[in-house]
Parts: sequence; structure tokens; C-alpha cells
Amino acid sequence: MAKLLIVDDSTMLRDMLSYALSEGGYSDVVEAVDGVDGLEKAKSALFDLIITDVNMPNMDGLTLIGELRKLPQYSSKPILVLTTERSDEMKAKGKAAGATGWIVKPFVPDQLLKAVNIVLSR
Amino acid sequence: MAGFDISMYREMFLEEAVELFESADNVLLEAENNGSLTDEQMGQLFRDVHTLKGSGASVELVYFAKFTHEVENMMDKLRNHVIEFIPEMASTLIDCMDVMKEILHLEAAGEMDQDKLDSMTHNLLAEIKGYLSGTHPSSAPSETVSVESTSTTQISDSFADKSEEDSIGFFDDSIDPTKFNKAYGFFKEEYQNPQAFGFYSDELQARSESAPTVATKNYEENDNFGFFDEMPAISPDNKELSYEKPEPNIEKPKSVTPAPIKKQAPVASKADAGPKDEDDKKSASLASATNNIRVNLDKIDTLMNNVGDLVITNAMLTQFATSISETKTRVAVLERLELLERHIREMQDSIMSIRMVPMESIYSKFPKVIRDISKKLNKKVEFKHYGDAVEIDKAMIEGLTDPLMHIIRNSLDHGIETPEDRLKVGKNETGTISISAEQANGQMIITIKDDGKGIDGNKVAAKALEKGLIDENQFAQMNENDKAMLVFGAGVSTADAITDISGRGVGMDVVKTNIHKLGGIIRLETELGFGTVITIVLPLTLAILDGLDIAVGDKKFILPLSAIVESLQPTKEMIKKIGDGTQDLLMLREEFIPVVKLYQLFNDVEPKYHNLEDGMLIVVKAGNQKVALFIDEFLHQHQVVVKPLDKNFRSVEGIGAATVRGDGSIGLILDILGIIDAQKKIDRHDLEFKKKKVS
Repeated sequence: MAKLLIVDDSTMLRDMLSYALSEGGYSDVVEAVDGVDGLEKAKSALFDLIITDVNMPNMDGLTLIGELRKLPQYSSKPILVLTTERSDEMKAKGKAAGATGWIVKPFVPDQLLKAVNIVLSR
Repeated sequence: MAGFDISMYREMFLEEAVELFESADNVLLEAENNGSLTDEQMGQLFRDVHTLKGSGASVELVYFAKFTHEVENMMDKLRNHVIEFIPEMASTLIDCMDVMKEILHLEAAGEMDQDKLDSMTHNLLAEIKGYLSGTHPSSAPSETVSVESTSTTQISDSFADKSEEDSIGFFDDSIDPTKFNKAYGFFKEEYQNPQAFGFYSDELQARSESAPTVATKNYEENDNFGFFDEMPAISPDNKELSYEKPEPNIEKPKSVTPAPIKKQAPVASKADAGPKDEDDKKSASLASATNNIRVNLDKIDTLMNNVGDLVITNAMLTQFATSISETKTRVAVLERLELLERHIREMQDSIMSIRMVPMESIYSKFPKVIRDISKKLNKKVEFKHYGDAVEIDKAMIEGLTDPLMHIIRNSLDHGIETPEDRLKVGKNETGTISISAEQANGQMIITIKDDGKGIDGNKVAAKALEKGLIDENQFAQMNENDKAMLVFGAGVSTADAITDISGRGVGMDVVKTNIHKLGGIIRLETELGFGTVITIVLPLTLAILDGLDIAVGDKKFILPLSAIVESLQPTKEMIKKIGDGTQDLLMLREEFIPVVKLYQLFNDVEPKYHNLEDGMLIVVKAGNQKVALFIDEFLHQHQVVVKPLDKNFRSVEGIGAATVRGDGSIGLILDILGIIDAQKKIDRHDLEFKKKKVS
């Protein structure tokens, strides 16, 4: 089963994401509280998909993606950015950092699952 | 998705919001005091507000998110230096936080509408607009355009409609657009066609130039991570890649090493507490961000209870083992039981350390309150705190926060003078309130100090006299400080006029009761004109205590070891009778200590001895009051697991809590302060009774 990592500094959002994902059949979800934590966890196990928030203390999401992309095992894994900003600038930044795609916050569970299904079905 | 229960997450969000507000408030208060904001602080503020908005919107608190979005927008411009921080902004932003809190609670309660939002936020939005447009002389003038985007009408569509709206494009032609909703997208097209966004490849270029060789190689691989078409299936090869590849040149963040749980040494002197705490605070908060789990306190309580039961079972076994008649077996079993006991104790300590949280979590609530009150009263106050990293039992925090808050309110309201008054008496116009925490001798000591006008003992005592809490004789004998201590009596207030700050029907007597409930004591020292120091001494935990079994007749009680000063068998010369001969005093090294006969206090107990010289006296201390308890004998010392009485039964005067003994029976734990109070009541009652008889 696909193993997912979600990185967000909000406990509530992590909970919501985990719940929405588990409802969609993804129950193997690991949570990380910020970029530093996310990177540590990503190194200690191999995840099939990483969903990360952008604004976080200690290490932000874009830096995290950059760091992940430097690791061979994550050079081609899908990474989705969870963001409240859907400006072109934000998208450009996400893209530049190496993200696969983005999901807006507040997320709609069905749409989240659709996006996850798409990246994982390939 | 059906059945997605938003209300549950709302609860979670409300909890989380409290912390975020606290964090933002504290940064802003500092900014208000210093008139500046560091980049780091701005980043923090932005993140706090950003999370508030994002999470609020996620749980469909639309009004809250709307306004918060405006604040976030301003924070975003600040942190990116599109506009520059000016001191006035701090106060605006603090007001914004207050309004955000209000909106949040109204909306969560379902009492919010657009009109309310408009009226609540109108002025603040105008202020924000002013800052952004540079209407304010010192803010950046180039931002006129952004005003438009922040007006109330515009914000609504910036995020509130999470339905399919604009702003999302699909870059991958191979993906059937009908499969998508507009709430997410992929960056496919640009990857295939980097020229369309010139910087993408530049960026990569730049990064690969600066990146070490190993990384560069990865970037090359990156060139073909792209997405759906070329994304490799997760091959076994991929899985075998080592996860811990060395990563040259990637600076390992310092925060990944969790700070070990420290046994906090007592803060040696307050002067050097400041910087040290600063460091502790940093490492603690970083560690907490990376390596913590949130656990419901109830679960830890349960664990503590389980260990408590282990302690009890161990005691049972030990008791049983001592009755083994065969010596060799008995010794062997007892030896192993001792080992078991040691392990249980270690386990207890570990659980205790889980329950501990830094004092910082209490302190962080104060700056905002102090600011608001001092503003209201036109007073200038500086708040200092020491021992931020000193740890306290989480279970105590709840009970401790209110009393501390009350003491601080009181200091502000009645203690600290107005700037004019302070200048008149030759003081600095800014008053100081400081709070410090330290651990010493297995106790927690919290000191709250102010340099205000102090408490007028005579005034307090006069009031206490009027209320009948003391008599004229006592009034005459008390020293100034003892008189001031009477503010802890019910209905005694020094306030000439009741204000809405501290005169909320709650007096210092409630503070004392609450501290007392935590098993603590409170002391006060004051000097008229120079300020007041309030000291609170608390046990480190409410869960376990070292006790001494004492016997009165066929009843056994447990006395907290920490209360005991000494024990003795009195000689006739040491006992002095006063009054009509019913009240005994123990004279010990020139000090008179009232004797409390436990069998009189708990009147269904028939003691072995009635004569003081036959039994034992145990001198115990609570606060600055000492009494000598008269008992038949004392038995042995042991550790007991404290079970609160009022939760399981009802509160009984003189009994603090209960425990389960090794033999399975219930043991009652004496409450020294309660006994002293009860004894005083009995004395007063006797006195009044006698007075009545005479008249």
C-alpha cells in the first residue's frame, strides 16, 4: 500500500488530512510537524507521496522539497504542496522547488483524494 | 466525502488557535515595547496568522478567515519589506488579534454575520489600509495598489469560494482535464517546457552550480523527474536506495537533536537566570517542535494510576513476604521485592517527567493581560520573568494560572502606582512586576514581586477586625506583616474602590484556597511604599507523596513527610496551659506552639493516651504556622499514591486526600493547613461559647 507523508505545522490540519486520506483508503500516513521533522522522517522510511505545507517554522515547505529532491530516493517521487496561496508567483515557486503539484487550502477531501489518486496511479 | 465532521476539527482548531494567538501576542507585545520587529519575529508572526487563516478556513470559519486574511496580507508585506515596520503597527496588530479572537468565538458559536464583521473590523481595516497605502508618513509610499486588493469587498473571493473558480490551470495536456477539479493542479507543462518560465532552468542552473557534486548528480536526475508520463514506477531498485546518503554541504539544522529532558537545577541567583533561561527556552521550543507527541493528560494520569497500583501491590507483597517464617526464603523474596520497588520508582520518575511542562507555558499568558490592564489604568509596568524552563506538573498548571493571574492583576491595580505618583515618591515612573520559579528541596517555589506601594497592614487588619476574623487582642499583638497577611482572609480587601480589574468578587482568599487545593502554601511580605513579595510553595506533584503513618487509638493516618519539622515525647515542663486550662501549648526552645489533639478533631476516635506526656507530639509546619499534633505513636514511613477525596467522595476538613494501603485498606492523608484552620475554628467556637455562657 502506498505510504504517505504529510508535513504541516497545524495539528488540526494534519488530523484532517490523515482522516481524509484514510477515508480514501490511504491509511499508511505518517505526520511531520515541520520541514526539519519531515526531512528526518522522509530519510528514515521511503514514502510514495509527500504532501507538504509551505509556511512552517524551522524549515519551510519549499526548502523541504529542495532538500528532498537532492536525495536519490526522492528525486522522482511525487510531492504536492498544500497552500493557501494560489497566485502564479506561488505556483512558480513551488514548481521551481521541484513540487509535482499543488492543492489549495482549505482542501476539499474529495479533490484531495482525486489528486492523490492521480499521482499515485502512475 | 460524506460524513466529514467539521465540528470535531473546529474544537481542535479552537484549542490550537489559543496557542497561536498567544505566540503572536507575545511577539507583538515585544514589538510594542521595543518599537521594532526582527525578520525572525516577522516570519513567526506571519506563520501564526497564516496558520490561523488556513486552519480557520479549513473548518469553514469564513468570517474569521476573511478578516485574518487581511492581517496576514499586512504581515506578508511586512516580512517581505514591501512596507516597513513602524511602532504604531504593533498596537494595531494587537487590536487585530483581539478582534480575531472575538470573531472566532462569535462565529464558532454561530453568532456572526457580515454586518457584525463589518462593524467590528471597519476601523482596523482602515488602519491597515493606511499602512499599506503609505498614508502614514513613515510607511512605504509605493503600495497604493495593494489597497485595492485588501478592501473588504475584494477579500471575499480571494479564498472564501473554494468552489471551482479561476486561478488553477492544468499544465499537462496528457491529463484529461475533466478528471480534475480546480482545487489542485500539477506543474507538468512547465517542466516539459522550461522556456515558458525562464527562471525554472536558471534556478536549477544556479542551484546546481552552487551545489556539491553529489547533489548535482541528483539534479540531473531531476531533469527527468517530471511527472506522469515519465515518473518511474517504484522499482525494487528504488526501494533499495539507501535512505541515509551522506549529504555534503547541506547544513544539518541544529534543532534536530532533541534537548534531553533536564532536571532543572534550582536557579542560583536571579541575576544570572535571564540569559540561561533564554537558551533553555530556545532549545526546549526547538526540541518540542521536532520530537514531541501530543498526549491527552488523562492517558498519563491513567498510567500514573497504574504505577500507583503497582506501588500498592508491591507494598502488599512486601507485607506478605515479611510474614514468611522460613528465614532464607523471606530474605531472598524481600531482596527481590526491593529491586522491584526501585524499578517502580524509576518508572514513576519517568512518568513524572512526562507530566512536566516548562513554566513558560504559564508566563506566556501574562504579558497581554498586563499590557491591557496597565493601558486601562494608565500605568507603566515592566514585566520580568525568570525560570521559564523550570518544569511544573501539567496537572498543576490549570490550578495555578488563575491564582497567579489574580495576584498580578492585584499588583497592577492596587500595588503599582501611577507614573505621576511614582515620580512624586522618587521612584522610576515605570513599575516592575516580576515572577520567578525555581525548584528546591523537592518543592516548587514561585515568587511574584512588585515595586508598588505595598499593603497597608493596619488598614487590612482593621477590616479583618470589623469582619470578626481577628479580635482586638490579636490586632494589638500582630506585627505589620502578619496584619498584611490578613488580605488572604475572606471578605478582606484593600481596595478603596472596587474596580473592574481585580474587584470581581474574587479576593485573595480565593487565591489562597486555590493554592491550598494544590497542596501549596502562600506567603506575603510587604513594605509600605516599597512593594510586595508573594511566595507560593508547591509540591512538585499532586500524585505521590512520602508519608508517615501515625496512630491515634485504632485509627491510622498518613502525615505528609514534607510537613514534619520534628517529633518528640514531651516532658511535663514543656507543656504550658493557657486560658481555662483546656488549651495546651508546647514550649520548644523558647517558642510556643499550639497543640492540636487529633482525637478531639476527629471526635469518633478513642485514643490510647489522653495525657500529653504519654503520647507523642509531632511538630508540623504549614506556611509560617506551626502546630504540634498529639498522637499515640508513629509507625513507619512509606510512599503513597494520592487519590483526591473530593473527586471520589467529598472533602473532609483536616483530611487532604486518601490512598490505598498495602493491605488494601483506605488510608487518610492529613491536611495540615486544614487542621490548623479547623483548630482555629474550634478555638473561636469555644471562645464564643464561653462568652455566651458568661453573658
